[in-house]
Amino acid sequence: MRPFTYTGAKNKEQALQSYSPTSHYLGGGTNLLDLMKEDVERPDQLIEVASLDYKKIFQNDKGGLTIGGMLSNSETANHPEVRKNYPLLSMSMLSAATAQIRNMATNGGNLLQRTRCPYFFEASMPCNKREPGSGCGAIKGMNSLHAIFGYSDSCIAVHPSDMCVGLAALGATVEVQKPDGSTRIIAFDDFHRLPGSQPEKDTNLMPGELITAIHLERPEFSEHYYYLKIRERSSYAFALISVAAGLQLKGGEITKAGLAMGGVAHKPWKFKEVEKFLVGKKPDESIFEAAAELAMKDAKPFEGNTYKVEMGKKAIVRALSQAYARKS
Amino acid sequence: MTEMEVWNNKRELGNLSEDERKIFDQLGLNESSRRKFLKGISATSLSVWAATYFPPEVFASAAAALPDNPIKLVNEVKVNLRINESVKSLNLDSRTTLLDALRERLALTGTKKGCDHGQCGACTVLVDGKRKLSCLTLAASCEGKEITTIEGLAENGELHAIQKAFLEHDGFQCGYCTPGQICSSVALLEEAKRGEASYVTDDLREITKDLTLSEEEIRERMSGNICRCGAYNNIVQAFKEVHSSDDEMPTWEFATPEQMENAKSS
Amino acid sequence: MKTIKASGIGKPIDRIEGRLKVTGMAKYATEFPVENKVYAQAVNSTIAKGEIVSIDTSEAEKAAGVLAVLTHKNAEKLKAFEEEMPELGTTTIAPVLQSNKVHYYGEYVGLVVAETFEQATYAAKLVKVKYKEETPDIHLDKSRAKAYKPTESSDFSRGDMDAGMAAADQTLEATYNTPIEHHHPMELHAVIASWNNGKVLAYTSQQMVDNSTIVISDTFQIPKKDVRVVAAFVGGGFGSKLNTDRHVILALMASKKLGKPVQLTVTRNQMFTNTGMRQHNEQNMRIGAKKDGTLTALSHETLSHTSTFQEYQEPCGNVSKMLYKVPNNLIKHRLIPLNFQTPCSMRAPGEATGSFALESAMDEMAWKLKMDPIDFRIKNDTQIDLSEERPFSSRLLIECLRIGAEKFGWKERKMEPRTNTNGNWLIGYGVSAASREAPYKKTSSKVIISLEEGKAIATIQMDATDIGTGSYTIIAQTASEYLGIPTEDVTVELGDSNYPVTPGSGGSWGAASYCNGARAACENAIAELKRKKNIPEGEEIALADLLKQNDLTKFEAEGTAEPSEEFEKYSVFSFGANFSEVWVDKDTGMSRIKRMVNVGSAGKILNPKTAYGQIIGGLTMGVGMALTEQTKIEPNFGNFITRSFADYHAPVNLDMANVEVIFLPEEDKIANKMGVKGIGELGITSVAASIANAIFNATGKRMRDLPITPEKLIMAKLEPGVES
Repeated sequence: MRPFTYTGAKNKEQALQSYSPTSHYLGGGTNLLDLMKEDVERPDQLIEVASLDYKKIFQNDKGGLTIGGMLSNSETANHPEVRKNYPLLSMSMLSAATAQIRNMATNGGNLLQRTRCPYFFEASMPCNKREPGSGCGAIKGMNSLHAIFGYSDSCIAVHPSDMCVGLAALGATVEVQKPDGSTRIIAFDDFHRLPGSQPEKDTNLMPGELITAIHLERPEFSEHYYYLKIRERSSYAFALISVAAGLQLKGGEITKAGLAMGGVAHKPWKFKEVEKFLVGKKPDESIFEAAAELAMKDAKPFEGNTYKVEMGKKAIVRALSQAYARKS
Repeated sequence: MTEMEVWNNKRELGNLSEDERKIFDQLGLNESSRRKFLKGISATSLSVWAATYFPPEVFASAAAALPDNPIKLVNEVKVNLRINESVKSLNLDSRTTLLDALRERLALTGTKKGCDHGQCGACTVLVDGKRKLSCLTLAASCEGKEITTIEGLAENGELHAIQKAFLEHDGFQCGYCTPGQICSSVALLEEAKRGEASYVTDDLREITKDLTLSEEEIRERMSGNICRCGAYNNIVQAFKEVHSSDDEMPTWEFATPEQMENAKSS
Repeated sequence: MKTIKASGIGKPIDRIEGRLKVTGMAKYATEFPVENKVYAQAVNSTIAKGEIVSIDTSEAEKAAGVLAVLTHKNAEKLKAFEEEMPELGTTTIAPVLQSNKVHYYGEYVGLVVAETFEQATYAAKLVKVKYKEETPDIHLDKSRAKAYKPTESSDFSRGDMDAGMAAADQTLEATYNTPIEHHHPMELHAVIASWNNGKVLAYTSQQMVDNSTIVISDTFQIPKKDVRVVAAFVGGGFGSKLNTDRHVILALMASKKLGKPVQLTVTRNQMFTNTGMRQHNEQNMRIGAKKDGTLTALSHETLSHTSTFQEYQEPCGNVSKMLYKVPNNLIKHRLIPLNFQTPCSMRAPGEATGSFALESAMDEMAWKLKMDPIDFRIKNDTQIDLSEERPFSSRLLIECLRIGAEKFGWKERKMEPRTNTNGNWLIGYGVSAASREAPYKKTSSKVIISLEEGKAIATIQMDATDIGTGSYTIIAQTASEYLGIPTEDVTVELGDSNYPVTPGSGGSWGAASYCNGARAACENAIAELKRKKNIPEGEEIALADLLKQNDLTKFEAEGTAEPSEEFEKYSVFSFGANFSEVWVDKDTGMSRIKRMVNVGSAGKILNPKTAYGQIIGGLTMGVGMALTEQTKIEPNFGNFITRSFADYHAPVNLDMANVEVIFLPEEDKIANKMGVKGIGELGITSVAASIANAIFNATGKRMRDLPITPEKLIMAKLEPGVES
């Protein structure tokens, strides 16, 4: 690691005041310290914020749930309210990493996870995300793990988070503290961004902004939910493809659907059109298959990841079927 | 006295320092077996085995604090680390991870470095009772936290039930991932009591405490600790025996003479 | 809790060093308290082929705490290879930083030494290297024209392959690929190296201590007696720690220069490029058989790669020489020099990979013949090793297959793929046969017996290593057996080159060699003590009484065991059979092992508890080989794109399933006096084939390229003749 000064922030004010453009907030450290050891992240100051008091879970005034930005992933996933009303979120979180890592990783930090693209990690290879202007090694290289949606000429990396796929299906907003002490709310869909010509920016966070809370919408998929994660070993592996599926059913019809996919784009990929398509339909295999076709129709794979189109379709059908099949 | 004379003194008289006594406790050696052990260890092997058993730093809990590292450090931080119920005050490079502080500064080498990137679980320790990875934890962020390492699990020479079960069920081979596996298992016992869920839990909405974990649940929840020797099945048995108090029977057997005969004749 | 109190060989006692391991007290290489040690970090090349044009170390040298930076410009001259493309062995010198040439991505180009680990790792990133790059050879496929035959013994034939194929009713030709794999023992390769007044002490993680002293003394051209290597505990090896690699030499160079002990740990990332690997093997199989299943022809041709400066050949085809009775047989091995590090032995070199090809092809042929794959194998069993034209010392392969089939419930298997289902799962059963050579090598040891409070206690010393294999325990059991004292009264001291010489751990010879070596010392001690007092050889007398009669409180003896002439007249192998039940998700392509049965015939089992550990360890690595493990090459830069433990998927706990292991009661006295054969590599052999065969039985898809990942399964087509 490069040398850095360490600041253990005792409160929000101290954290915000300590911030400079070359510093980095430190949450659980599970991603940041790894990247610092890899020399990908090079802050000259770490401001530890994991101990700040944003660790509560409470009912918000919109009938949803607010979860603290500094709460650990495991405490969040296992919170009785989250498990009862947002089991899709719990399941997505529990599919990620390991118990040790979930005990460390914070909710805010999870949103800021950086890609696992191997070109991003290896300093000797080009990567526009790591070093803007150096090129993208993956486009003409090894792209089996890469995007099939929403990529650009400069970056085809995918977002690695599972929790964020769950959040995308559920619908949420992110609350951040601005350096001036005020707060702002970002719709979850606007939080992560597509690479465009600036792949070095994963999110729409501004410098110095600190994630303090995630607000969940009123629970709608507490009974019919499933998070499917397809990976190269049975646990402790990032997804090739993952699908978060939530259904609300009334009188044998789908009244609301949430559907998002991981491992396919620079951000969690929410299928808004498919969600609308499913509403009003009677849930059965053929509808789910039609939904899958619709979802994947615009997929544009590379040489190494054509499998993702087929896998994606099957994953959607399976996740929707599993969600539907749950006993309510 | 030369190193050899000190050693011979110990062998003949059993004169042990407080640190050495603690080490013997950890080894489970009582008075008579201590003497036997000391006699059994030959003088020629002194440097290997004496190093194995008697580095003065090994049981740092016995020493109030180690001397500060005299090296001039950039971005030095002073940290009070509470480890295995004793406080160590260290001046560290801000970059020092908890893992390196344990291994390189406190001689608590039971916690292992297997990848240094959070991808294997060998460095698992308990921080405030929860299993965490010491390789991705800065020592500077541990002020005020209670850290338990593999060296702190046995009490007065009595092994933790999980340690005993690993021994009995051969839950290891090379032993390198073992401290991490054991710390992870100890934490998992508590997670099950608290009713925490996993990805393979059938219904997340059914919240119960004091879970009895299925084999699949144990495997999923222990998947954060890689064992390249492949002792997983024995690890699962060791955990199960402590977790559910049922005897776990070996899954090996010898073919019977009858089986051998039948296999030949048919 | 049950406590098994037992002594002697054959009992499932707990590991004698186990308490050290569960308390964190066992000391691995960098855990020895060495005073004044400093820390090193190696610098790796970032091109796959070319030359270093310039190397700027000024910034690194200025960084806080830095004591030295070594590069090819200031490194001392080491012994160089005397020939082109020398063969890599376990005593091969390991010259490093000797020129500006770069042969592969990740080759060591420098070393930074600093006061602390943090300082060294940071400063290593400040070394600036400029290269003149050349186009590397990194593609097996594009470099076929460069394939060469490494040695005369790379090829073998008997009968007439073409005639055998022509005489067949049914033929098969198929190509199987196993990818680059890495050993990845959990303990990183590491060393604390001290160079003190011309004398070397290295605490280092090695499988072979004596060979390590040879490598160090040869590389530095110093007397072997001045080199001491200590490896009391080794955190896994699997072949990667057979060789003494360049990091050991680097650390010693630095220690010599600085006059301080130097600690160097190879990072997990560096373990992809600097500590060996199993290379990619492309194996072409041809089989001919009569309708009744009689094999008429079998060929096994392997194309692999080695480095551009050293030769290593994995003998994949050897298994096809000897496992079945086939009159017409052709074996070929070819190598292509590529710009990667030199491969080296990885658990069951030859057998693990070769058996995947052979035992998959046998399954394919059985399917073509509509024959049960067990019957097909039994039909072609042989008690003669046709490749050597000599009998097997013992061969219970048929027993392994039949007893395993019974235990596994093989008769429930459906011959037609895709006919056994459960919800979304396709269920398949697979079988494979395993064979692994059981070598035995000259081994010495010393026993020190003393009288303590009227009781005899003993210490065994040898330079053997315990790499997780259970050496400590089985050696104690052996001493207990041959001295007639409880195991609890035996201390075992290993892993120090000051002790009597053994062949070290590798090649599945450890158990047989170490224990026979210990036996020889114990037998000599007893014989000597009896001789002194004219006690007849056959008379039973307690060891303590024997010492008392001799008026001794302490006695030492050495002994050496080595293979007999009889041994050379036989082919000595362990045999086994693997059975797997695999469930494949029809949509996601994810496979789950549900259960496995392994039957092993490996001579006298010294300790079934530790032997079981070796088997399940092999099975687990076999599961990894079949389903998860692969190192991928970046096609444009020539580096490994799988560069961390997050990318290289060693199996986790959930990847494994219940395993039942059956040992056949056997004592092969031709193998050695104790009747012991190796088991450390038998466990991985043919596991991948049993899984691939089960996946065919489940899905009707024939997966010939490992690992069998979800993406491959989803895209694979049904085998012709399989109904969807």
